[in-house]
Amino acid sequence: MRVLLVEDDVMIAQGLETALRQIGAAVDWIRDGEHAAAALRGTVFDVVLLDLGLPNRDGINILRELRQRGDATPVIILTARDEIRNRVAGLDAGADDYVVKPFDLDELTARMRSVLRRAAGRGDPLIQHGDLCLDPAAHSVEYKGAPVNLSAHEYAVLEALLQRPGAVMSRAQLEDRLYGWDEPIGSNAVEVYIHGLRRKLGSEVIRTLRGVGYFIPKS
Amino acid sequence: MKSIRARLVIALTILVAMVSMLAAIVTYRRVLNETSDLFDYQLRQMALSLRGQITMAPQIEVPPDQGDSDFVVQIWDLFGTRVYLSRPGLPMINQVVLGYTNLSLRGEGWRAYGLQTPQGVIQIAQPIRVREALARAAALRVVIPLVLLLPVMVAFVAWIVGRGLLPLRHVTAEVQRRDIHGLSPLVAPNLPLEIAPLVNELNRLLARLEKSFLAQRAFIADAAHELRSPLTALRLQLQLLDRAPDPVARRCARERLGAAVERSIHLVEQLLTLARSDPGETSPSFEPVDLAVVAAAAISDSRILAMTRHIDIGLDAEPSSVVQGESEGLRTLARNLIDNAVRYTPPGGSVAVRCRPTADGAVLEVIDTGPGISPADRERVFDRFYRHPNATENGTGLGLAIVKAIADRHAAHVRLAEAPSGGLRVTVNFPKPS
Repeated sequence: MRVLLVEDDVMIAQGLETALRQIGAAVDWIRDGEHAAAALRGTVFDVVLLDLGLPNRDGINILRELRQRGDATPVIILTARDEIRNRVAGLDAGADDYVVKPFDLDELTARMRSVLRRAAGRGDPLIQHGDLCLDPAAHSVEYKGAPVNLSAHEYAVLEALLQRPGAVMSRAQLEDRLYGWDEPIGSNAVEVYIHGLRRKLGSEVIRTLRGVGYFIPKS
Repeated sequence: MKSIRARLVIALTILVAMVSMLAAIVTYRRVLNETSDLFDYQLRQMALSLRGQITMAPQIEVPPDQGDSDFVVQIWDLFGTRVYLSRPGLPMINQVVLGYTNLSLRGEGWRAYGLQTPQGVIQIAQPIRVREALARAAALRVVIPLVLLLPVMVAFVAWIVGRGLLPLRHVTAEVQRRDIHGLSPLVAPNLPLEIAPLVNELNRLLARLEKSFLAQRAFIADAAHELRSPLTALRLQLQLLDRAPDPVARRCARERLGAAVERSIHLVEQLLTLARSDPGETSPSFEPVDLAVVAAAAISDSRILAMTRHIDIGLDAEPSSVVQGESEGLRTLARNLIDNAVRYTPPGGSVAVRCRPTADGAVLEVIDTGPGISPADRERVFDRFYRHPNATENGTGLGLAIVKAIADRHAAHVRLAEAPSGGLRVTVNFPKPS
């Protein structure tokens, strides 16, 4: 899961970055409105956490531009503005959810999962595919009814591939899901995680399309 | 007695009553006198009218009085013999006094008039008792309406006073309708001259109150809003501490939690300082304060931060840079300026603090080698909670607002300019102690 965090408060941003990385998300943190708008034009994110009171450009403004482009990337507004009219304005500008500071970390991640679920068109909080069952809330995986122990990055690769079964994801695309811009990427890190997943789930679960990427076949 | 109305009604009632009584007494007396004159005139007229009868037939037998008249008529001939007495049974004094006289007959007073005619003397007499009774009755007839009018007049007085105080009651009702949310001016048209200034002053006070109330409310809203950020950081770091997977992460979370706590404390302290610096919040006790002492104290407050950031702080103080002020507030002012300078100056830079007396008073200057503040921003930085978009420091946005508030209280002027080094130069000009 790749997250764009747009937040001008250093302490809050650092805390959120740490928390989201702990659940295996790739976090890109931007402090200023203009840069955030530029990042949204150039990169695909799974979810955007958007503060409203930003330097140089207001969060609502960035959100409007995003939606006017027809970009449906899930956006959660994270703000200290708690008045009803602010919430209404935020949601009407195209936000998928509105979280008021100070928020609870568990609630925020639950809301992130919820908007991701809706974006993927799923109603079930569990991702079921064949013998595989992912619980995004608990970050747990069951294969043939038995729990499987995955590292955070392995989980992230599996979740990314399960979002759209049958679709092929390149190594670069998977790296995007795993790492933010400023995180160092190991040269064959994705291969390592795929190898780990195949070892734990059996080699048939994830297929390789040589020279293109990886996919999980539609059942 | 507290009520104007009651006081006026009572005072006016007493006045009306006294005037009425006085008028009644005077009238009574005058009516008595005038009636007496009138009776005298009557006596004389009677005597004059009898004169002709004597002339015509001096020996004529005037029919004796039937006794139902108050008057007694006596006629004497030229030889002094009483030829006529109107009430024969009545022993009258056989004595002639010409003109008006008071006679006493067996303890009863009489008023008499004697008239000399060529034929003899005519005397008409009347009992004073009768005259007085008649006069008193006449006087009372005049006075009684006056006394009866008294309650009517008192009622009128009460009514007039009530009407006169009506505008006051309107204003009271207007004021009673006010609460803390309705501080709009009182609307009371056609006010009398006596009440208009009161209402005007009240409206001015209401306007000032509303302004300060709105400012207070805005400040509280801003403060609550600003408190959310450090609280969010606190909660985040606390949750991260709980779920830290390893000791390194735990130590990191703990450090950041500590920083978040410090930040919250700093914000609360700044908010309190600002609230206390608000003009009118306290009546500051001003005393002569040496800016050099204040600056030295403020520098020692910021010393540790400057050391960790490798920033050189210097104080250049000329003697007798004395201003009239409150030393604690001035120290806060200097500390905020120096703190800002230290925070925004890159490591290895320097901060110079200067104070010197001037022709108009004294001046305190803080000059740093930081990035400075662009001219466009120099006014806005004094706004509460304003932070420069590119500011990297976790400031509260209150430092310069506090400086401004304290300076205002000291009638001092704060000016931001560019230092020769390109950094910021803050100049605080204090007026001469008066």
